[in-house]
Amino acid sequence: MKKNNAYVIIGNSASGLAAIESVRRIDKTSNIINISKEPHRPYSRCLLSYYLAGQYNKDILWIRHEDYYKKYNVEGLLNTTVAGVDVKNRALAIAGNKKISFDKLLIATGASAKSVDIKGADKRGVFVLRTLEDAQGILNMLPSVKKACILGGGLIGMRAAYALKKRGINVHVIVKSSHIFSQMLDAEAADMMRQHLETNGIEISTGLEAKEILGKDSVEHLVLDDGNRLDCELIVIGKGVAANLEIVRGQVKTNMGILANEHLETDNKDIYAAGDVAETYDILEGSNNVNQIWPAAIRQGKIAGLNMAGEEAKYEGTYGTNSLDFFDLAVMSFGVVKPKNDVDFEELIEIDTTRRLYRKIILRSNRIVGGVLINDVERHGILLHLALHKIDISDIKYILADEYFDFGKVVPLIKRQAKSFARPEYNDTCATYSPLY
Amino acid sequence: MKQSKKIFCDITKCVACRTCELACAIEHSATKDLFLAMLERPRPRARTFVHFIERDVSHSIACQHCEEPPCMEACMSSCISKDEKTGKVDIDRSRCVACWMCIMVCPFGIISREAADKNKAFKCDLCPDRECPACVDACPTKTLSYETRDDFSRRIKQEKKVYEKK
Repeated sequence: MKKNNAYVIIGNSASGLAAIESVRRIDKTSNIINISKEPHRPYSRCLLSYYLAGQYNKDILWIRHEDYYKKYNVEGLLNTTVAGVDVKNRALAIAGNKKISFDKLLIATGASAKSVDIKGADKRGVFVLRTLEDAQGILNMLPSVKKACILGGGLIGMRAAYALKKRGINVHVIVKSSHIFSQMLDAEAADMMRQHLETNGIEISTGLEAKEILGKDSVEHLVLDDGNRLDCELIVIGKGVAANLEIVRGQVKTNMGILANEHLETDNKDIYAAGDVAETYDILEGSNNVNQIWPAAIRQGKIAGLNMAGEEAKYEGTYGTNSLDFFDLAVMSFGVVKPKNDVDFEELIEIDTTRRLYRKIILRSNRIVGGVLINDVERHGILLHLALHKIDISDIKYILADEYFDFGKVVPLIKRQAKSFARPEYNDTCATYSPLY
Repeated sequence: MKQSKKIFCDITKCVACRTCELACAIEHSATKDLFLAMLERPRPRARTFVHFIERDVSHSIACQHCEEPPCMEACMSSCISKDEKTGKVDIDRSRCVACWMCIMVCPFGIISREAADKNKAFKCDLCPDRECPACVDACPTKTLSYETRDDFSRRIKQEKKVYEKK
C-alpha cells in the first residue's frame, strides 16, 4: 500500500499552528506537512499594525520559535503555493507540478484583503495591510510620505491610520458608511470613538467614497465621489477580507467561506477547514457566519487538529468579538451590536461622556446577545461568556450594565444554572456559596 | 494528569476585609513594604479582587489558571502560556502589545490593564517569589487556600460536616 502523508495543513498562521500543536498532542509520530505561500516563519498578522506604528520592533511578530518545525517534527514547505486540491484522489498539487498526498487535510488558507475597484488603484503607493510584505512596503515608503489616505473605517483601516499617525504622518480616513466601525459598534459608541480619534489628530470623513487615484506612477491625489481632491502620497485600503477558498471551490461546499461542521470537517470526509477561511455556526447570531478573528482561528485550528488525530472534539461555534485601543481609549464589542428589529431586543445602556464610559448590553428573551464597552472594558469577558452559554440573566439584569458589575454578581447564577456553566473553574468559584436569603 | 495547585476561596469564611488585595499589591510592589509601597508611583495594584455576591456575602477572586485558558487562545502575540507542570497561566509581558484580547475573553474579568507601565495586561501570577501566594498567607480568616481542586473539595466537605454537627 502506498504510504500517504498523514496530515497536510495548508496555512501557517493561527489555525494552522493550533492544529499542528493539537495533532502532535495525540499523534507524536505521523508525518505532518505544513504549507505556506508566504516565505516567513509563523508570524502574527494582527501585530502588523503595531509593527507599522513603530511601537515594537520586528521580533514581536514571530509567534513561534525559529526551530518550531523541528521541535514539532513538521515538514514546513514555505513560499509554496497550492495550485489545487484533488479531493477525490486525496492529493494536492503545488507549484512545479509536484503532488502531495494526504490522509487528512486541513485548509487553513485564511483570507485576503479586499481591494477597491477604482481607476489608479494599481499605482505605486496603494497598499493593503495583510502580510508582512505589505507592512514592509508601507514602511519603505514612509520617508517620502507627508499625508496618507485610508479607505475604510473598519478595524484594519483604523489600525493602519493609528499606526501611521504614531509615525507622525497626517492621516485622513475615508469611510463609506455614516459611522466608523460600522460592523463592530453601534452609532453612539462609534461617535464617541470618532470624537476621540479626531481629538487626537486623525481626520475622518464619513458617507464618502474614493472615486479615482491620480498620479504619474505613484499616488499624488485621491478623488472622492463628492468631487473633492485630496493630496496624499500613500493610500491604505482597509475594506475587509475575503476567504481564500479558490483551491477547493466546486469540490467542497462553500458559501462566504468553506462550510465546516461542529468537528470543523467539510462536507468531504477527512478534509477540514479552520480559521478565516471557514464558515461555521455563530452562537450569537444563530446562523452560519465567517468570523475572521484570531481567537476563533486558534480555537477552530485546535478542535480541527484534535478531530484529525482521531480524538473527537466538538466546536462550540463561532462568535464575533473584537478589541481595539487607540490613544489609550479601549473599546470592545461582541455579538449583535445593532439589532435589526427592535421588538425582540432589549438594550441596557449606561453612558458617561465626561469619563468617556459607555456600556451597552443587548438582550433577547433575557439572554445577552451582544454588547459594546468603551474604556471600562475589564468585565467584557464575563458578559461574553454569559452570552455564549445563553444564561438567563433576569436575576442580575438591574446591575449588568452598572459600573459596579463584577464576577461576584454572577456567582448566584452559576449556583442556580450550574449545568449551563461548563468550565470546571466556574464550579471552583462557587462551590462554597449558599444563598443567605 | 496530576492536579496542580491554585488559589481557592471558601465563601462562607470571607468577611470582605480585603487583606488579600493589600497583600497582593504589596507583593507586586517594588519595595514589598506596606508603607513604602503606598508611596510608590504608579501605586502598586492588586491582582485579586473582593466582590460582593449579595449583601454580607463576598468572595475573593483572581485568575483561575483555567484548564483551557480562553486568554491563551485569544492572545494574538502568543504571549500567554500555560505551564504543563504547575498549571500556571502566565503573561510574557515583554511580548504583550496591549491589544486586550485576553481581557475580552476572560470569563472572570480578572485581567487588568496597566496603563502606567507601557500599557501591559497583568493578572495573578501565583507569586513566583513565594512558596504560597501572598493573599493566601495574609488571609486572616483562612478563606483563601492554595491547594489542588480535589484537596479543596475534600476539605470543605469535611469542614461542613463538623460545623453542621454543632
